[in-house]
Amino acid sequence: MNKGKIVSIHSFRGGTGKSNTTANLAAQVALAGKRVGVVDTDIQSPGIHVLFGLDETKMGKTINDFLHGTATIREIGFPIGENTGGAEGRAKLAGKNLWLFPSSIRGREISQILREGVDFNKLNEGLQTTISEFDLDYLFIDTHPGLNEETLLSIATSDILIIILRPDNQDLQGTSVTVDIARSLDVPHLMLMVNKALPKYDFAQIKKEIEAKFSAPVSGVLPLTFDLADNASNDLFSLRYPDHEWSKSLRGVADAILAVK
Amino acid sequence: MENDILVQLRSTSLFRGLSDEMLATLAERAVMRKLAPNDILMKKGEAGDSLFLIHTGWVKIVTEDSKGDELILNKCGPGEIIGEMALLDSEPRSASVIALEDAEALEVKQSAFQDALDKDPDISLSIIRSYSNRLRFSTTYIEKAIDWAQKIAEGDYSFIDQTQPLSKNAQTADDKAAQLLSAFFTMVRKVKEREDGLKQQLEQLSFEIDQARRKQEFEEITGTEFYAKLKEQAKNLRQKRAQQ
Repeated sequence: MNKGKIVSIHSFRGGTGKSNTTANLAAQVALAGKRVGVVDTDIQSPGIHVLFGLDETKMGKTINDFLHGTATIREIGFPIGENTGGAEGRAKLAGKNLWLFPSSIRGREISQILREGVDFNKLNEGLQTTISEFDLDYLFIDTHPGLNEETLLSIATSDILIIILRPDNQDLQGTSVTVDIARSLDVPHLMLMVNKALPKYDFAQIKKEIEAKFSAPVSGVLPLTFDLADNASNDLFSLRYPDHEWSKSLRGVADAILAVK
Repeated sequence: MENDILVQLRSTSLFRGLSDEMLATLAERAVMRKLAPNDILMKKGEAGDSLFLIHTGWVKIVTEDSKGDELILNKCGPGEIIGEMALLDSEPRSASVIALEDAEALEVKQSAFQDALDKDPDISLSIIRSYSNRLRFSTTYIEKAIDWAQKIAEGDYSFIDQTQPLSKNAQTADDKAAQLLSAFFTMVRKVKEREDGLKQQLEQLSFEIDQARRKQEFEEITGTEFYAKLKEQAKNLRQKRAQQ
């Protein structure tokens, strides 16, 4: 039996476009006919749920309640395919198997959870239950920037880890530590995605250089684009503008995820 | 000079099949027009009833753009034929021809040409063959040009190296299709050069990682009790998953 894969999306620093990338990757994989879950790790700040057309008032119980045993995972999964709303891009997800799982496992709260005895094994069991209850092919986790304990837990349980970085020295420095951690925690599939690359640079050279630095595949180099920054309608960009360069490269990353056996 | 004219007439694809006798007859009835710079040899829209063989000097073929300004379509020099379609269809001139310098052009009237046809019906066949050849040549290369244009659009320039330079294939210098294709290839080479130049202009990035800092940060994270436990648990998890 082919079990669902946990895909963690991480970046060392904020501002890499991680939430946007996670939402679009999950949407693309769902569009390819897979059963997909997305764990939104921070419903307090605007992030993934906004791109899927939800606000926190629509969301009731969170994964935290599930981990505390006060809710079933069934109560938490929000079916995006049945609630696509009016946005042009999101409408393409109608009828697709995609669920959003809100959670609030921020640094301080995870420490609390840990003190209360929800450890790695329990978190992992929770994720595995989510996968089996919804018969998921992929469960995406949008992790927090940096390498706090919560993020380390996510990395440790991942089948696939995608590190998003901008092509600058600061991001490469931080990424180097994450890459070392991922290898230390035996993550089976590690891939990098470069985002916000200025079009004046040679993308092929960026890919080659970064792959050589980390001995890990760069599954896409995505351009910095004002079109994406200006996504005022909070729609899923790659669904709304499928012919845009950013969307094309993003689909390349989605294909790399789908190619992992 | 009489001989020069014969040689020039014979060298054109249109008259290639004609006998020396026939060419001599045409040459005899032809009129040499002398042109000073800016003299008009033919005017756009006027009835056309003769062709011109440029003997010496250069002329320009012009029309007007949408604003009424002069637009040069081509320049023609010694040995080139202008207005040859008029011998058959008598349609109004599609462009004007103006001398760029002192020039001489041999005018062959439609009437002289038709007298020649009456005398020897074989000429008709020869002329038809000549037009047909030119048409076939043009059509073939227009089809090829469409194919090449599509390749260029896809960024594929490999056909440049696989194709013979057309000016050498062209049978005569007055072949417009060959001129067009020669210009086409020049254009493609220039476009390719510019594209290659742009590719090289893409800036290269180089990155530096502070390896000492990398090692230190890694040790800070992995040195905790939490991490040691997590690593152990993760290891067990991976083993469990591998067994499933």
